[in-house]
Amino acid sequence: MRRYWRCLCWALALSLGGTAAQAQQRVVIVSSVGSAAYATMAKSMVEVLASRGVVSSDIVQLGASQMAARLQSALSLQPLIFVAIGSEATQLLSSARLSVPVLSTLIPRRNFERILQSAGRVPGSQLNALYLDQPLRRQLALIHVALPQAKRVGVLLGPDSAFELPRLRSLAAAKGLTLRDAEIASSDALFAGLHRVLEDSDVLLAVADPLVLNTLTIQNILLTSFRGRIPMVAFSQAYVRAGAALALYSDPAQVGRQAAVYVLEVLRGNALPDHAIEPDDFEVEVNQHVARSLGLSLDAQALRLTLRRLENLP
Amino acid sequence: MNRPVLLISTKYRRSLLPLLAVSGSLLAAGAAAQTSNVISERDYLADMPVVLSVSRLSQPLDETPGAVTVLDHDFIARTGARDVADLLRWVPGFQVSTSFESVAPLVSYHGAFDSYSNRMELLIDGRSVYSPYFIGSIGTGLQTVALQDIERIEVLRGSNSAAYGARAMLGVINIVTRHTADTLGAQGSLAVGENGVRDVQARFGWGNQGGTFRIDADRRGDDGLHGANGKNQVDRVNLRADLIPRAGDELQLGLGGYSISSGRGFAGNIDNLLRPMGFDSGYAKIDYKHSLTVDEDISLRFSHSQESYQDQFPYALTNVNPAYGVNDIYIINAGGQASSDVLTVQHGLRRSETQRLVWGGEFRSERVKSIGLYNTDSSFVTNFTRLFGNLEWRPAQHWLLNAGGLFEHSSVTGDTLAPRAMVNWHLGSGQTLRFGVSKAFRPPSTFEESANVHFVFAKPSGYSGNFDITNVKSSGQLQPETMVAKEIGYLGEFPKWRMSLDVRLFDEQMKGFIRQQNSVLPKDYANTDDVSIRGGEYTLKWQPWSGARVMFNQSYTTIDTLSYYPTATVGTPWAAPKVASSLVYSQKLPADLELTLMQADSGTATLAGSGYKSRVAMTRTDVRLAKAVRWGASKGEVALVLQNLGQPYQDYFPAFTFERRAFVTLMLQD
Repeated sequence: MRRYWRCLCWALALSLGGTAAQAQQRVVIVSSVGSAAYATMAKSMVEVLASRGVVSSDIVQLGASQMAARLQSALSLQPLIFVAIGSEATQLLSSARLSVPVLSTLIPRRNFERILQSAGRVPGSQLNALYLDQPLRRQLALIHVALPQAKRVGVLLGPDSAFELPRLRSLAAAKGLTLRDAEIASSDALFAGLHRVLEDSDVLLAVADPLVLNTLTIQNILLTSFRGRIPMVAFSQAYVRAGAALALYSDPAQVGRQAAVYVLEVLRGNALPDHAIEPDDFEVEVNQHVARSLGLSLDAQALRLTLRRLENLP
Repeated sequence: MNRPVLLISTKYRRSLLPLLAVSGSLLAAGAAAQTSNVISERDYLADMPVVLSVSRLSQPLDETPGAVTVLDHDFIARTGARDVADLLRWVPGFQVSTSFESVAPLVSYHGAFDSYSNRMELLIDGRSVYSPYFIGSIGTGLQTVALQDIERIEVLRGSNSAAYGARAMLGVINIVTRHTADTLGAQGSLAVGENGVRDVQARFGWGNQGGTFRIDADRRGDDGLHGANGKNQVDRVNLRADLIPRAGDELQLGLGGYSISSGRGFAGNIDNLLRPMGFDSGYAKIDYKHSLTVDEDISLRFSHSQESYQDQFPYALTNVNPAYGVNDIYIINAGGQASSDVLTVQHGLRRSETQRLVWGGEFRSERVKSIGLYNTDSSFVTNFTRLFGNLEWRPAQHWLLNAGGLFEHSSVTGDTLAPRAMVNWHLGSGQTLRFGVSKAFRPPSTFEESANVHFVFAKPSGYSGNFDITNVKSSGQLQPETMVAKEIGYLGEFPKWRMSLDVRLFDEQMKGFIRQQNSVLPKDYANTDDVSIRGGEYTLKWQPWSGARVMFNQSYTTIDTLSYYPTATVGTPWAAPKVASSLVYSQKLPADLELTLMQADSGTATLAGSGYKSRVAMTRTDVRLAKAVRWGASKGEVALVLQNLGQPYQDYFPAFTFERRAFVTLMLQD
């Protein structure tokens, strides 16, 4: 009887002690807050891990503030890998000197590099990211496949995206496309830059930059490009809903599935890759109404399959 | 522990992003770097307002419920036209007069039946601009905007009362002005040449994200047709503002006016003496569009417009009776004012992938006042209440049905219902067939319904009392004219050959044509003939080689009348030429030159201002040579335009001729 009660007490102590008391956590997921996307990504990653034998008791999920509290207190965690979802979580984990690999996800490349720089870290197999932004070559491939008659690609770059220009130029040239670019230094310069670019373009490629593309500017940009019969190719579903003809993006579930693969590698004893990780799965979305109005005939599924075939992906 | 809450600048409308600062200068430095201009996953995950919602998406040409000709900004510049009316000669089926005799140059489609073109609807940015004073004529409205302000002109050839209102019997001309965001900066132009051509125009646009503005003022002047009365001058100013009060909303404000000063009449015609004439018009409008979701939006429009017409002429009473002395003059005053107020509410809804519905209501109040025309100082008020709707339905993959109707209640002439159905069948590879039938009405205008023109003057000296001659008195028994139009259309796009072909075959049956009965005084208006307009027209567009653009139009029209009155002298069957063709060929040349050759040929037709007795054929050749220029930071164009290289042709009246004119234009903009 006593043994029974002792087991029960021990079990109770374990459960009351919370996850922090477990010695078996292997994966800690630290999630930023403020968007349902973080939870969607975490959920899909956990599902893949579960299907490969990583039980839920092996995984700890925390919000960034809870993690911050953990780091302050003595209740530290010793998993085999940390996964940061979003820039808030990445910021937190990159500043804390952790001895375990950290995989940052759902974060654009530029943001990741900036966070690391200010934390005095370098990316590598101890701290790497699965970028949210699609590789430029894939975006230009989409333009080439979906809009074969478009030879001039217009692009508006702001202070935070200007660094992409050289890469854009060389990739466009390789595909036989001419790049028409404008660098916007301040929001007052947006109109003039937009007109300059649209005057000479067949398609407008949206490059993420909060100065150039935000809820205020999107109206002017979409209305002006639509008046000029110029389709926009953007980087999220929200833009397609707003009126962009096409978007190329990875949805959080896809990101979660890809992240799970790297987590499993680390759990097996291997290291994270030491080079940048680009998203290997993506969606293509088409706004059929806008496409029809512009006289374009686009099939989202067919475009996606063509892009995957071009990259030798299954 | 520090917990600063970082408020992202409200300028970018982000939600509050609480950022926790764990102690440590490293993280504080990190926090300082997180400004609003920095990329993060928010840019990829955030929601965006719906911009291109259901009513903002124009129908592609192969889905329009009718044959549409689009004249774009570039085409307008290439033709060297100085009036919007001049541009419409390049649309098949149109008759154009450049005379200011009926106050402003006139355009008609499928027949210039009389001196006021009132069987077409004219819209400028959605605002109907026919003249309530001039029995619904669109001539004056065509003068509202400067050509440099026009983005494109969409001409729907065919009846479309269902969407555009009662006067769209024969067609709709929709002028879309340039968005203010596309006309930022300064721009000006000049034209100088023969026949007293003196035009000057200046425009300035300014603004930023939240709102853009434009003001455009111009004067267009020339000596008019040879044999016509005097100089024609139009002064205009237009202001437009496009504001974005909130994401997903658009607010457009407009204010402007124009003043036409010209002359009417001609020497030797005692009923229509030479005299000056003036017409002023002003408007104010407000247009609000709101996107509810990607599939639903609403819009609200209000406009007020006013017009005033000045026309008086001295009539020598010796023509009435030789007993009068030479100094007995009676001033005939045909002037007056009119105004209208319109309120429109419209709802656009995409009910499913296969159905789109646009419907709404409009209230329009028109007031006309003229002592000379109505023998009273009070205004004639006509109120219209309208309900309209159009459903676009795709029952199967290559089929589109546009079904709509307009119900109108007029306080003067009662109720009418104008339905329309058009089927578009996409045959594949850029080819579409259209079949449609529609019914349209033209309600009698205030003058046709209530005219009361008296000439009251004292009897010659030696007699007592007055003569009271009633010149025109409407019995007010008129029914609206009705039109049933059937059409078959074809649109073929052949990108491989860089060609497109648009064909329209039509059968338009008009009943109850309202005509002034001139054989007996007082003149009355009555529903007279039934008019049948049948034929076909086509437009071929082609880009044969690099830098070349060709547009070729032809129209074949047969007008028959079944008249209930003796018809010996009715000119109706000749209101449109049996065959008319036009060609516009533009070629880009080296050294930034562009040459445009234009040719218009029209078979025998009555002139707009005279009837059966004057039927003439017309041919006209125009040439324009333009060169792009730079002056400092500005760019522009200088051009030489030669209009009517051949023989002078008669226009409006047999006595008026369009001589050859040459002028030079200069345009500069930053």
